[in-house]
Amino acid sequence: MKALLLSLLLVPALVLAQAPVIEISGANFRPLPLAAPAPTVQEGGDKKAAGAFDTAFTYDLTASGIFQVLDRAGFTADAKEGMTAGSINFSRWADVGAESLVKVSLAQDGGALRGELRLFNVATGHEDLKVAKDAPANEPRKLAHALADALYRHFTREASPFLSRITYVRKAGANRDVYVADWDGMGAQALTKGGTNILPTLSPSGQVAFTSYRKNRPDIYVQAPGGEAKPVVTDGQMATGVAFSPDGRRIAYALAEGESAQIYVAAVDGSGAKAITDTPYGLNTSPSWSPDGKRIAFVSNRGGSPQVYVMGADGSGVKRLTFQGNYNQTPDWSPRGDLIAFTARDERNAFDLFTVNVETGKVTRLTQDQGNNEEPSFSPNGRLIMFSTTRNGGAHLWVMTAEGNNQLPLPMEKGNWLTPDWGIAPAAK
Amino acid sequence: MDSAVTHSLLVARPTKLSRFVVFSVGGHVAVLLAAVLYARFTSTPKMDLDQKPINASLVRLGKPRDPKLLPRKEQAQPPPKEVAAKPTPTPPSQEPVPAPSPNAVAVPGAKPAPAPTPQKGEANAEDRRKKLFGAFDKSAKPSEPEELEGAEDGDPDGDSAVQEGERYYGLLKSQVRRHYNVADTIPDAERLYLKAQVAMRLGRSGEVLDVSLAKASGNELFDSAVVAAVRKASPFSPPPDALRDALQKNGVVLVFSP
Repeated sequence: MKALLLSLLLVPALVLAQAPVIEISGANFRPLPLAAPAPTVQEGGDKKAAGAFDTAFTYDLTASGIFQVLDRAGFTADAKEGMTAGSINFSRWADVGAESLVKVSLAQDGGALRGELRLFNVATGHEDLKVAKDAPANEPRKLAHALADALYRHFTREASPFLSRITYVRKAGANRDVYVADWDGMGAQALTKGGTNILPTLSPSGQVAFTSYRKNRPDIYVQAPGGEAKPVVTDGQMATGVAFSPDGRRIAYALAEGESAQIYVAAVDGSGAKAITDTPYGLNTSPSWSPDGKRIAFVSNRGGSPQVYVMGADGSGVKRLTFQGNYNQTPDWSPRGDLIAFTARDERNAFDLFTVNVETGKVTRLTQDQGNNEEPSFSPNGRLIMFSTTRNGGAHLWVMTAEGNNQLPLPMEKGNWLTPDWGIAPAAK
Repeated sequence: MDSAVTHSLLVARPTKLSRFVVFSVGGHVAVLLAAVLYARFTSTPKMDLDQKPINASLVRLGKPRDPKLLPRKEQAQPPPKEVAAKPTPTPPSQEPVPAPSPNAVAVPGAKPAPAPTPQKGEANAEDRRKKLFGAFDKSAKPSEPEELEGAEDGDPDGDSAVQEGERYYGLLKSQVRRHYNVADTIPDAERLYLKAQVAMRLGRSGEVLDVSLAKASGNELFDSAVVAAVRKASPFSPPPDALRDALQKNGVVLVFSP
């Protein structure tokens, strides 16, 4: 017996020792081909809710940039196929090109909608993930985001963008109103009603800061959803471009006075404001915090044309970052820290999105030949960028990967949607 | 005196000089006229020279983009990484090598793969081989001899077989790499450490007899991706004689890192 065991151990070892070794590297990274058939609905389930769930769930996976969600037209779901590995014909899924298979079953449980998700590795037939989530029966989209988040976390070991929130401006007639919504622009809630309210930004705790002309002068207000807008900056001629520090304790903003505009940093209630730029005739605007809160990116025309600069959060060590183009603006610092996205007007007078590497200064183009694209904002995990584009008429919010791939419109109705800002932290769960 | 006058250069000698002057002037005028006419006639068709500036501007467009301008978007489709796989490997001329089976290079459902077409008697075969499998050479065992050509009556297990084997393994490697697709879902931090080993045995005609994960990486997606890369790359070309038995018995181990 002992000898048998020993030989069993030794034989493979010997084989390996004798076999020549070939090293292979240079993998081609690409989105994971994933099959996600429509969810099965348990008896007595709400078909309409299942449809809403399916739309939101599929959108999350498609827009995430890490999955290649296989077109359902390419396969027919086998009604008899169940939720367990034993009942699934994996070779059939391999034939349609799937490497992973995700199955969802929905059930109504009193006032709650319960979703169970299972993820299978098509090659091995192994069940990699099994997770169940509940949501109020009238919020199937919420359930979709929760399950998509679980799937995303399984693969990337980091939080998905699907539970995060965004804020943006809707332009309707003469009014510009601030909205907050889920990451896909749905479930929108208006914070302001009429007038001119612009450049909103989300704090980690879900408060929104924006510039409003409600007192006939552009001041900065902070407002929690459902709460009242409180003025926090009422100095100067015009206060714009407010940005929360990553810890949510401070704000940076630009204050225009006469011929110049300077960047200020203050506590979140506006107290203790201190100018951190000092160029007598120059404009310094659009501050954006680095993820560690130690540096601020901003736009300045001190060199003759608007360019992206970075400096310490106390105004020290100003460094110009962009040297290409002559009209670079609206910087947004990636939560990963490595990139700053910005809008630039190119030599053909089109506005497009770019990133600049903070360390190397390398500029990469993300959009091109597709209308005007402006106001980039990184997702909380830095993998996606949301922006406003005129490519299909009007102004719509789109999302793409940080490399400019997989550009998709948010599933919102048509309209004029401007200046999206993605919350810097996912909503508390 | 007379002769002196007649010989003096100051005395007009209308007859010879005028003839010479007339001839000279006429000759010059003729040459000038010819030149002008030539220029006129030959340049007339070249009046289309106006076209040339267009050509010149085309050349100018080919210049690298002004560094002051914003860059254009990098093309979405990345070029295939294994450029080394493109040149045609050449089998050694001194040993008959079984022709690759027709399906040896058929890549199911993938971008067209350059077929390794055997060409006999290439003078710079060694250079090409070096270029092709230079990377492989680095990872090859240091004990392997550097001899360029093996003797025709050499030991079948000797150096000529080693050279041939190298070539075959290089081919195998590039074929697998073409299918080496890994999911983007793998976190960046993990990509640095992933390493998986796949053991496979090959049959006489290059078919995969069995393939298995010899050492898992810890990431199941990566593990199944590397096994899938080998499966999709198969079948391979028939192994050279010297390797046939070894590949069938002991197989070969592929070590994958991202």
